Amino acid sequence: MVLPPVAVVAVFIGFPVGAAIAYTLGKTGGPNSIVASIAQRQHVAKHGVTTAAYREVLGNSHVRADLRATIWVTLVTIVVVVLLSWSIALYLRLSDTWIARVVSALSVIPLFIPVVIASYAILTFYAATGFMRTLAYHIGWHSFPTLGYTLWAVVIAEIWVNVPFGVLMMSSGLNSVPNALIEAARDSGATLPRAVRSVLLPMNVIPTVIVATFTGIYVLGSFTVPYLTGPSAPNLMGVSMQQFFGSFNQPQQAEVMAMIVFVLAVGIGTIYVWANVRAAKRASSST
Amino acid sequence: MSAVEHQGVALGELEQAELPVARAIRRRRPSPRRVGLRALGIVLVTALLVFMIGPLVWLMVRAFSGLWQFPDLLPHTWTVQWWRSVFADKNLSHSIKLSFEFAPVVTVVSAVICLPAAYAFARLKFPGRFALLVSLFATNAFPKIGLYVSMAGVFYSLHLMGTFMGVVVVQLIGTIVFMTWIPTAAFSAIPRSLEEAARDVGAGPLRVFFRVTFPLAAPGIFVAMILSFLAAFDEAQGTFLVGIPNYITMPTEMYTLVLNYPEQAAAVFSILLAVPSVVLMSFARKHVMGGKLAEGFQIR
Repeated sequence: MVLPPVAVVAVFIGFPVGAAIAYTLGKTGGPNSIVASIAQRQHVAKHGVTTAAYREVLGNSHVRADLRATIWVTLVTIVVVVLLSWSIALYLRLSDTWIARVVSALSVIPLFIPVVIASYAILTFYAATGFMRTLAYHIGWHSFPTLGYTLWAVVIAEIWVNVPFGVLMMSSGLNSVPNALIEAARDSGATLPRAVRSVLLPMNVIPTVIVATFTGIYVLGSFTVPYLTGPSAPNLMGVSMQQFFGSFNQPQQAEVMAMIVFVLAVGIGTIYVWANVRAAKRASSST
Repeated sequence: MSAVEHQGVALGELEQAELPVARAIRRRRPSPRRVGLRALGIVLVTALLVFMIGPLVWLMVRAFSGLWQFPDLLPHTWTVQWWRSVFADKNLSHSIKLSFEFAPVVTVVSAVICLPAAYAFARLKFPGRFALLVSLFATNAFPKIGLYVSMAGVFYSLHLMGTFMGVVVVQLIGTIVFMTWIPTAAFSAIPRSLEEAARDVGAGPLRVFFRVTFPLAAPGIFVAMILSFLAAFDEAQGTFLVGIPNYITMPTEMYTLVLNYPEQAAAVFSILLAVPSVVLMSFARKHVMGGKLAEGFQIR
């Protein structure tokens, strides 16, 4: 029963990724022959493998700038999404007013909106003629920065897109903490911040890890958001991969960049898997 | 569902009734601080409102705008001409139709492939189970563009380039994780004792599945199907690379529009493209908010 999806993944993802690894190491035969036949600036290994493509890509200062931009945007987005979704979820957990219901509805709106549209809407909102600059102009702040087509717009859009998942995960985690535990802490004299720190925080570690890792992996591999909202250069690796493949006709270099991003994403993914394994072990030992 | 909710409400009241001391302490807060907190809360909520809704409202206004110059908060003239021109454009309306053909096909194929697997992941302990669940997750970690570049080789040799099936496969890949993980969590959450009880009173395995297991897992499956539909509906990059020139769907067209058309036309098209997502997610809202999505992301 498990076979069909695994087979689909193996044929259409596993096999191409394997071929891509071989291609980046200079193997242009077999499944890579079609792509290799039209590619430019290839590094071909006659015997064994060659790391020439990796050396070329990592030696390119533009690519290094893209890589730095990618890591910076990813880290900022992770931090903001975790903090924002924690605060929203915590507020929703402790409050049951009409404001809380408004916040709860607001925070999941991006789920309803396709990413292409979100990116485009955010671009126009923070553009030179966008709402933020118009509003700033009317309150007398004439030099409000144009964020559209900068890495800030990318960060804003990535946060916008990732907040609902964060809030849903964090809320689900916080809701599983029984009221009685919080009440007990408060009855024994803990202030609300103290109760949050020593009861809610430790019980919501796994959802926090999940939000941080999934946001990180999403941003690392994202294309639509930086393509529509970001600057020409340096931009995120997803965009430069597309440029190397589509505009410069250098698929091998594009694949090398994909590998670099993949390694970063796997690094983040390892944290996710480790946290889940630990939680599963703890759950099975306690029951 | 509703019975559980009622129970929760009743319990909540009980707790409050039993803890009058805790409530009295909470009421005795200094009131100026409370007012300050309330004001801060309103400022923060307003900021969130502008951050979340602002761009969408701005886009809406743009779709109906005629002449609009920089420091004005609203357009000088209003018009529906952009709506007419989008609907009159043959390419655009064709891409709308195509999008609505692909997404349902992809969702059904994905469900047929993944739901049995989700059931197996939830109910059977087999060697390699955890590794397989994680490897499905790894498919998310490889950047899509890199994947599409090398997938081209496989697609050419299978004659999938530029075909309907090719586009279905490329969109299918983006749905597999949702379609496996979320239903796996839904099936896992059903107590085995319920199925055993049904079997004890003489129900066959198929009957147990369709009368007990499936209805209980349905909300999770429903959320997975909606998310898959939307993932397929929004997929642009892979569809562009594989489908061109025969199959240009709405999101693919959107890239062209943003770059080559007047801003207002792109705004109109954006709104049209968002309609199915808004409608479908509204149906699933209750379950998504209720934690069905969140449950799917914890591997057990």
